Amino acid sequence: MNATIDHMVSLIVFIGAILLFIGLFSQTIQTAVVYESHKALSTKTSDLLDTILLNPGIPGDWGKTDVRPAGLGLQDPEFTQYQMSSFSLMRLDSSTGNLVEYDKTGSYYSNLSLGFGASLLMPKAQELNYSTALSLLGINNTYGFQLTLTPDITVSITETNPGSPLGLSVSASGTGSPFSGATINYCLIQVTLPQNESEYPSYTIQSGSNTTDQQGIANLTFPSVTDANQTYAFIAYAHLDGVVGVGYHTRVSATDQCVVPIVQSMGSQEVALAHNYDLNNSGPEGSSLKYNATFVISTEDYTLSELSLGNSSSQGVVGTVTSGVGNPSPTIPLPECTTGILIVTYQESSTQGGVVLMPWGVSSLAFPVTFGGNPVGQVWVATDIRQVTIGGIAYQAKLALWSTSGYQVNG
Amino acid sequence: MIRTIEVLLVIIIIAGAFIGTSYLSVLPAPRQVSPINLNRLSLTTLQMLDSDYDLSRAAFETDNSTVLGQLQVALSASLPPNVIYNLTVYDVNDKEGQLYTLYTPVANISNAESIGTTSDVSMYTVASSNVTFNVTPEKIGEKSNGGTLYILNCSDANGWWITGYTAQSLAQDLYNLLSPYFINTIMVQNTTQLRELIDNHTISSSPTEKVQNAVVINTFGECVPMPQEYYQGQSRASQGYDSNAPSGYGYVKYCYTLGNCVFMYNWTWASIVGYPFYYVSNTGVFSNDQNGWGIYGMKMTATGGSRAFLEGLNNQAYVYNSAQITDSANRVVTFTQAAIDSCNYYGIYPSIYQTSTRALSNSTMSSYNLRVGFNVFNPSGDYLAGAVYNHFAIGSTNITGSLLALGLTRTPDVRVTALSLLSYYQPRLYPSEYTAQGTSRLVVLQLGLAGGS
Repeated sequence: MNATIDHMVSLIVFIGAILLFIGLFSQTIQTAVVYESHKALSTKTSDLLDTILLNPGIPGDWGKTDVRPAGLGLQDPEFTQYQMSSFSLMRLDSSTGNLVEYDKTGSYYSNLSLGFGASLLMPKAQELNYSTALSLLGINNTYGFQLTLTPDITVSITETNPGSPLGLSVSASGTGSPFSGATINYCLIQVTLPQNESEYPSYTIQSGSNTTDQQGIANLTFPSVTDANQTYAFIAYAHLDGVVGVGYHTRVSATDQCVVPIVQSMGSQEVALAHNYDLNNSGPEGSSLKYNATFVISTEDYTLSELSLGNSSSQGVVGTVTSGVGNPSPTIPLPECTTGILIVTYQESSTQGGVVLMPWGVSSLAFPVTFGGNPVGQVWVATDIRQVTIGGIAYQAKLALWSTSGYQVNG
Repeated sequence: MIRTIEVLLVIIIIAGAFIGTSYLSVLPAPRQVSPINLNRLSLTTLQMLDSDYDLSRAAFETDNSTVLGQLQVALSASLPPNVIYNLTVYDVNDKEGQLYTLYTPVANISNAESIGTTSDVSMYTVASSNVTFNVTPEKIGEKSNGGTLYILNCSDANGWWITGYTAQSLAQDLYNLLSPYFINTIMVQNTTQLRELIDNHTISSSPTEKVQNAVVINTFGECVPMPQEYYQGQSRASQGYDSNAPSGYGYVKYCYTLGNCVFMYNWTWASIVGYPFYYVSNTGVFSNDQNGWGIYGMKMTATGGSRAFLEGLNNQAYVYNSAQITDSANRVVTFTQAAIDSCNYYGIYPSIYQTSTRALSNSTMSSYNLRVGFNVFNPSGDYLAGAVYNHFAIGSTNITGSLLALGLTRTPDVRVTALSLLSYYQPRLYPSEYTAQGTSRLVVLQLGLAGGS
């Protein structure tokens, strides 16, 4: 009897101990498996980021066309290494910003605009969307990602004095510290509003340079601007040792009316000039604005140089844009091969007008790009970063990657 | 009771195993689980800093604290705030006696005392802007008893299908492009010197000049210079004039003689544009003859010229034959991948798209025992817009003469000729001075993550 009890007690204790240790060992093993999965995800992130950044895609010039690429890549086909195509990035369907409906065409546009004064509206139908990108990268149903390209240097401009003289403070800062000792090359675009009804608004460019102090700030004054209501746009480039950033600021004297450039087609390089009342049906019909559109490129010494817009006799395109579906929508052809800035000055009345900038290529005004899914709420997100150059502007490319098929996804 | 004790012993053993395993299998720190690829971040940072060669300039001005300060500001501004860095510039030594100190640190900038436990590095070699790097090419023919390039620059001949250029200007361009790759490059200044070559005589005082295995470039386009001795009634008329040929085309026999020279001396004859051997030229003896387009000093051989040349190259008996070896179809042709690779290797970049109107029939060429040695352009059916053809006598594996025929339309781009020859011979390039002292510096950027261990 004692032997039987001995056997039963020992067996129960043994089985209990075995179960306990299996649980303990499995926890250790599971932790190791999860670690390996995360490590694999990290490796996959690095590989995927290089895949996107180090090939131009198929076809190589897909960013300058309206076709859907057969392979996703963002490298500038005319360069090597980590130099991105400013046009390919324009064709990524931004995951930030709201959709805008243009009443005259009934089409929707992705809004990449950066606040007031500079806008970039891209046709939604021609954008490369997230699900297509997943398929092109071969990671649909296995991974999700978000790609962000952020300028290394943030150049912000604030008004310190509205006039007599106009005072502006340019602040340049990097991701890690102030951009002290950097050279600031700037262009002040002063808009002239003619009093004659038959004339169109125009502008003059005043260029100069300065250096940032220890805090990365440069204070500028413009004695030529005495009117506190003077309409202007200001573009500043901050550069030091190959690291270049750009920022802008505008001031308008118009009421709530403005001209908004809308990219119609990358393939034909057409941009429509819309009245803001025609966006999301936000205003009445019949409101008119006179406009003067010109295209400028940034030269090697960071001054702006005008390019002709299809008309050899004059560099600008002038006309009137009127709100309302029945009124025609003017379109402007932009250069195919070069990045730059479309400057549209507009006039509402003899004293009210404004200026709007549109980058042709995201880097022209250092627009950030966010493309892909939302990493918030994902169980584990691996990230990796690279320094890249887009049109001469320094950006940081960050890829966030997560598994959509559980923990044990191996790269 | 003994069973219970045994089980307790087993439990102790398994518990010991578990404790031992847990102790030994240390899981990595959280930052090691999903690390940022600091190696790539470091490399891309260095590339960006050198995008305008500012890093290269700074690496050679390490005694200038202002320049180093600017570099540090740029570095700090471009890296994320949680990344610490240590950038070191090394001088590259190659003097004797310094073998054990190949890299000497000359400057260092950092934003932390310690780089941390997790770090990675990238290296980047920069070059001084004061240095011009030399590239020494291998000489064509130095291992095959040849190595002489003859460029026909005859002052007493005119060219055709080189409209807009003169043969002399093309010759000079070819000299500039190709002379570094040959042991000897000799301009054949007149048809008298050409006759010397036909007679296997050298024409310069250079001891390394060799007629055998030479390359001969005809810069006169569809026309070929002819020494006056081959003129009708002159001393070598039997080798230059066929009185039985149709009226006006008698000088096809001279083309046969040239083809036979290519065979005997194992020349590589280069025709730079159009239909080869369509005219012969000598401004002295053909002063009253013109090609029908107002260019005097030449006589048409038409389609019979090429056939006669090929007969000579094939060392067969001369028979007048006027059958075409090309068609006149208009083709846009592209370089082969091998030719494109050569563009990058030799730094010669003609357009990869060219227009051909005199592409040679490959099957016709093969009937003269010619095989394609190198295709410059992708074939268009049976027609090759540009290729180097090698002649192999029946049953032989030795090359006995070659023909580079570029059947492109006028006017010629002599870079295509140069590229074709270089692609065929493939002389190697030996870069030098990359490690010369003071010309290169190594920049090492070590990145780490701040905070924690």
